[in-house]
Order: sequence, then C-alpha cells, then structure tokens
Amino acid sequence: MPVRMVESSSPSQDPGTTTGNTLPPPCTLLSVGQSFSGTQNVSSLQKDEAWRVNVRIQGCDLDRGYLCGTMEALNVPMADTPVVTFWEGEIVDTKNYTFYTGKWGATQDDDIKHWTKFPSFPPLLPQVEADGGKSLDLSSYPYIFMRWKEQHFVNVGTDCGLTIAGFYYVCFSCGDGSINGFYYDPNSSPFQKLELKSTNDGRSGFSFSTYELQ
Amino acid sequence: MPASVASSHSSRPEDLIGRLSSAQTPYEGKLKALRDLKNQIIGNRTKKLAFLKLGAVPSVVAILASSAAALGGGREGREFHEAFLIQSAAAIGSFACGLDAGVKAVLDAGAFPILFTLISHPNEKVVDASARSLKMIYQSKVAPNYDFLQEKNMEFLLSLLNRENENVTGLGASIITHSCQTTVEQKVLSEAGVIKRLVGLLGGSLIQRDASLESLAAVIKDNPEVASRFIGPENGRELSVLIELMKDKCPRTRLLACMCLINIRNASMSSLQDSVIKNKLVLILLELLDDPGQVGDEAPFVLSNLISEKEDLHQLAFDTNVVEKLCENLDKGSFRPKRVEGIFLALADLCSKLECCRERVLNSKVLAFITESLAHDSAEVRGAACIFLKNVSRSVKSLSAGTFMKEEIMVPLVQLLGSSCTFEQVAALGAVSNVVVDFKADKSVFTQCGGVKQLVQLSKSIESTIRVNAVLALKNLTFLVNNRCKEEILLELSTPTLTSLISDPEASVQEQVLAFVRNLVDGTTNSIDYLFGEDALLLHSIGRQLRNTAKAEVQVQGMYILSNVASGNEHHKEAVMSILFGQGGNATESILVKFLQSSNSQLRTAAVWAVVNLTLPSSPGSCGRVTEFRNAGIVSQLKNMMNDPCLDVKLQTRTALRQLMTFGDAST
Repeated sequence: MPVRMVESSSPSQDPGTTTGNTLPPPCTLLSVGQSFSGTQNVSSLQKDEAWRVNVRIQGCDLDRGYLCGTMEALNVPMADTPVVTFWEGEIVDTKNYTFYTGKWGATQDDDIKHWTKFPSFPPLLPQVEADGGKSLDLSSYPYIFMRWKEQHFVNVGTDCGLTIAGFYYVCFSCGDGSINGFYYDPNSSPFQKLELKSTNDGRSGFSFSTYELQ
Repeated sequence: MPASVASSHSSRPEDLIGRLSSAQTPYEGKLKALRDLKNQIIGNRTKKLAFLKLGAVPSVVAILASSAAALGGGREGREFHEAFLIQSAAAIGSFACGLDAGVKAVLDAGAFPILFTLISHPNEKVVDASARSLKMIYQSKVAPNYDFLQEKNMEFLLSLLNRENENVTGLGASIITHSCQTTVEQKVLSEAGVIKRLVGLLGGSLIQRDASLESLAAVIKDNPEVASRFIGPENGRELSVLIELMKDKCPRTRLLACMCLINIRNASMSSLQDSVIKNKLVLILLELLDDPGQVGDEAPFVLSNLISEKEDLHQLAFDTNVVEKLCENLDKGSFRPKRVEGIFLALADLCSKLECCRERVLNSKVLAFITESLAHDSAEVRGAACIFLKNVSRSVKSLSAGTFMKEEIMVPLVQLLGSSCTFEQVAALGAVSNVVVDFKADKSVFTQCGGVKQLVQLSKSIESTIRVNAVLALKNLTFLVNNRCKEEILLELSTPTLTSLISDPEASVQEQVLAFVRNLVDGTTNSIDYLFGEDALLLHSIGRQLRNTAKAEVQVQGMYILSNVASGNEHHKEAVMSILFGQGGNATESILVKFLQSSNSQLRTAAVWAVVNLTLPSSPGSCGRVTEFRNAGIVSQLKNMMNDPCLDVKLQTRTALRQLMTFGDAST
C-alpha cells in the first residue's frame, strides 16, 4: 500500500511559555563542505542573461546564526576567469537575526517584497508583520531563510568592474537542499534570481565531510 | 714602573669566597666580605649566577649556621654574631630573589630551618633579615609547600600573621600565596580565621597590604564557599576596602586588588557582576598594561583571568580598545618573556569567541610577531603564541582568505610539534588543527614543511591526548583536499597505522580517525577506492569497529563513512551492503536497524543518508538492495520514522521512502 506523505510543515507560533529551542534545525545539506550549483539571472531590459554559479559552504554556526562560504560566478562577460567571492550569511532564527534586515539599504518594505517571492514564506507573513517574526518557532519548519552578503573578491581585485554592494535574500529547502535567492541592490536590476541545487561531485548520492575548529 | 700591590680586600669572587670560608679570616674581614658579596649580587643576575657556580651559597649558609649556634650557646661576641646573621640572611635572600637556581642552592645548603628559627630571635633586625629572606624563597615555585593541615604549622602561621613586624606578617602572607592550592587548604585557612587576619592587614603598611591582597586572592581562587564567606552580609565593608584599593596610588596594590576582586567574581557568580565594576576592572588593567615593570608583566595574566570564557567581557574589552593596547604593547617589543606570554594569552582569550576581536587583532601587526614568538627561547612564550594562533584562527573568514597557511607561520609551528614538552606539543597541535582547515584543495605549504610527517608521528604517541589531537589535525587537513594531498597523507600514515588507530583503546581517537576517513572518501568518486586496497582491509576494520563499539560518537563517524562510500559506484554500494548486513549473516541483526533506532539523532541522520544513497532510482543495483532492505525490516523501520523529532531525519526518511516506492510496493 502506498504511503501518503503527511506534510506538517506549517510554522508554529511560540506561545512564550515553552523553553524549547525555536531556532532553525541543523540540516546536513547545509553543513560545511556542501556545494551547490545553478544560475543567477542577471537579465536587464537590454538582454536576457544568466551566469552559472557554484557555492560552497565553509562555515556554519547555528548558535550565532552564521553561515559563510564562497560563490563562484562562471561566465561573467567582463572577466577572463571565474569570479570567486567570499560571503557571510545571517540565518533568520529570530534570536540573532529577524526577517527585517535593518541595514544594507533595505527597508522593511523591501524585506517583505523579497521574502514574499518565496512560496514557503506566506505562512509566516502574518507573524512577521505583527512582530518581525520574533515569536515564530522555526525549529520544525523545513525551510531556512537567510541573507548572504558578499564580503570580498577572492581571486580578482576590486577594480574588476564588478560590484558586490548588494546582498541576497535566500531560502534553503532542508528536504532537497535547493536554494533560491534574490539579489538586492538598489543600483542593480531588481529581483535577480539565484537558483541552486545541491551537487555531489559526480557521485551517485550525497557525501558529507567535516572539520572541527579547536 | 711600580707594580700594584695585591690588596688583601680584593673583590674578585674567588677571593671573596676564600675569605668567607677561611678560618683564618678575622671577624671584621669576614663580615666585610659578606657585605661585599651581598652588595655585588643585589639585583645582578649575572653576578648571582657567577657566585652560585663558585659555590658561595654553602659558605654563606655555614656562617649563618655557626652564628646562630654560637648565639644559642650564649658565647661571647653577640654583636658580631648578630651582624653575621643579618648580613648572611640578607645575602641568602638576594641569592633567592628571582632566581630558582639560587633558591635551590639555598635550600640544599640547609638555610631554610635556620631562617625559620631566627624569626623568633630577640633582635628585630635579625628577624627582619630572616623574614625577608624566607619571603624571597617563598616567591619561588621551587620552595617546599607549607603543610597547612598540620595543627602546629597552622598555629605557627597564625603567630606570624599576628606579629607587629611587617616583614613577619608579610612572610605569613607569602607562605599562603605560595602554598595554598587545594580547596581543602583554602577551607582550613578560612576556618582558622586567616581571612579575617588578612583583611585586618589591608589597613597596615604597603608591604602588609600587598602581601595580604595576594594571599586573599589565593585563598578565594575558584572556591565559591570561601568566596561567599568573604562577601557575606557581615563582610560588606571588606569588599568596599578592596574596591577602594583598586584606586590606590601604588600600581602594584591596584593590580593585586583587581586580582582579588576577579577571583571573588569568578568564584561567586552572584557578586561583582554589575557593569560598573566590570568596566572599572577592565579600565584599571588597561592602564596597568603600560607599567614598565613587574606590574605591567603581570597585568595581562590578570586581564586574562578576568575575561577568560566570558563573552560579555570580551565585548567590553573590545569596546574599550583593549585589543589595540595589547597589540601596541607587542609592537613596542623588547619586553621580558613573561609579558609577551601574558599578552599572547590575553589576546588568545579575546579571540576565543568574538569575530570582531579576531578581525581587529588580524588588522594589527600581531601576526608579524608570531614567527619569532613561535621560535622564542622561552617555552612559555612559544606555547602562548600557539594558543593565540589557535584562537585567532577560529575565524573561518581568515582561514578562507589563507591568512595563516604561510611558510613563515607553518615552518616554526610544525617544528614545535617535535617538542619534547607535552604542553607545547598540545598547544602547537591546537593551532595546527585550525590552521590546516584552510579550505584549499592544495595544502602543500603544510606538507612541504614536514607537517604530515610530524602529525603521523604524533598519532602514534603513547599519550592519548597527543594521539587524539594529532588525528583531529589530520582530519581537518583532509577536509576538501585534493587526491594528491590525500595520497601523500596515506603514504605517510600507512594502512597498518590507520587500522591500528581505528581500533585504538580510546573512543575519542576512534571517533577522530573515522572522521578522518570520512573526509578521505569525500570528494571525487575514486577517492573511495582508498578503502578498497589490500582486500578492503580498511573498510573491514571500519565495519568491525562499527559492530563492536557502543559509543554513539564513534558510530556516527563510521556511519558517515559508509554513507559516503554508498554514494560511489555499484561496487562501493554493494560493499556497504555487505558491511551493513554481513556476508550471509543474519539480516535482522543488521547494524542499520540498530542505528536507525538510535536515540542519537546524528546517528539516525547518517544511517538514513546511507539508505538514501543505496536506493537512488538511477542506480542499477538499487532494486536488489531495496528487496534486501524490505526483508530486513528497514522499510517498516523507516515508516516509523516519518515523523521523527529531528527534522533532518524526518525529511530524509521521506526521501528514502519515496525512492523505495519507485521500486514498487513499500508496504512491507
């Protein structure tokens, strides 16, 4: 008999009486060493364009709502080689970071406009509008929301003609490891879409590595 | 030209010692020689060492002993003998001052009991000189421990603390500072009324005050019971006195008052936690860092004691520019080793948790001092530099930027792995473990300076702490590294060593070595073949370990190895199946069922990933494996896990079941 998949993925509201963990849960597909690849749509009014993008997670500290890694853009027109940047991420965990960015030129309105583009966000919207989502219990929600901000270029100079002034609104799916994102920079084309899938170095399955800082 | 006449009062060390030891030297001559000797060695380390080599100490102690005996026997010449006692006790004190070799010589020559007897001498000058001398001895680590648990000793100590003479009370306090180390000793001292007496001395002379502060710090350190007694409701005044002494004009008093308050604060989490006192402590210590003398040498250690493991204080120190001040101090250079050690330890504490502190330290020139500090003459400085490097390299951002993986850092660091001192090796291993993460596929800077060789050597150490840290470093080194580097490591490590580490007696070593193998078989598919050489000897060792161990942390790493291997080709997947179900063994006893039922969510996660990898619809052999899973009851087990409390397990269980369903009915 086939099994019906029961989806119990709606976020609950933390009643404030429990002392349990309400942070997003650890997820192996979002752990150190994991890699992703896909595209970023950089289309403008003039032409349709998408760059191939590879991402690798290098650091993850859920207690501090911190994630970091590298992002490699492969077919950037004005660059001879792939352009690698180092980014740092804020995990929306309602403890360290909320859905409201509060910096990088993003208003609360910009935040809501971007978050609502993710299909997994609408169930959270009422609570986010009520208190910024501070009372949400995200511990069993199968999506993790983040902001990724590129910090510096790794293999090219700042004079490469590219900018990393903006940041990404990111939604990660814990189930399949897919990542969707929207680049936000008031001076760039709006809603540049980032679409990534978990990759496996040509393997027939998923592999996980580890390191431990002393 | 007339030749010079040899003086009978030459100050050459050999002549001085000759005059001291000779029975022919008249009293006056001997006394003068004693004075000359004392004057020559005061504050002069080189002279002290020269006289020590020539055996001056036994001669001086012999004079002390004979004068003490002569006075005891009531012989004539009291004045002379007392003068001898004063001068010889003073010379002994000078030998002992700041020089462990001097203290050892003084103790070996038998001066200790004689000096103690002289504390009760009727002549106050003799008492002063003897008490000062004993204080110098007690300032050294090599001085014998005073046994407070003996009633007679405690009575004697209290009698010292109750005397009017400031040198004698100071001696009592120094004995406590030196010898009070255990909680039992702290309790016995506190119950004997020592704290009350020490607090009384805070109102005395400068010597008494400082000695009392230092011993109070020792009696309270890490002892909540004694600390709470000190800060009890009836003792509010004492605490105010200490807080007041933080503002004293004498820098040493300020430092010791801070030390005392910090020990109270650390021992009793309920007192002195307010931001006003925290701010004051940080600001005073910040100012004391500039002291050019001993106070400035000790200030970073006291600061480190204040901020260690306390993130709020790291932030406070960061906000008050302590990082800059410490870095500036290093930049000034030419300090005594103790100060450099203290600065590195304080910086290490500051960099232990907060990225903002690490960033600020790395923006200063501190890393430029690392190379020379790692090769410093002092083992303490080298160790502290390693601890600092370990903590500052917790910055993933800096590791990713390749800040540390440089020849000028790696060469001296790897050399320290070969140290004969365990403390230094462990400190160096801590730094190496972090620095080698690096995130680059090629880590040849480390391999070329002999790092792998050293780590492999240490992984065979008889000390389990060294073994576990060495294997942890190898694990971090193997993270995301290319196959060339993996092969270099494997060649050095060899299959027999790796096999023996997999079944190491220590579970912590097993865990680290399995995590190392997990990284080894990550990356390109052909890296999985490292486990298949010599009839898959390594894979079978891992399987055996997984079946035999009861430690979840070992099982987690072992299961991740199998899961990674299961992401390879059909041959790899089938090898995993035979480990999980045994060749022709009883499928119902599969370790997979056991691990899926584990209370450890990490183990369940790793086990579910293995199932996912073994049942991929695109793999040709999946269908057969699904049948095996069904027969072994894995499918029913997975169904029970569909609402697992761990979201990761729940989601991947559902992925596994979806995959199983593609091969037909998954209802069994």
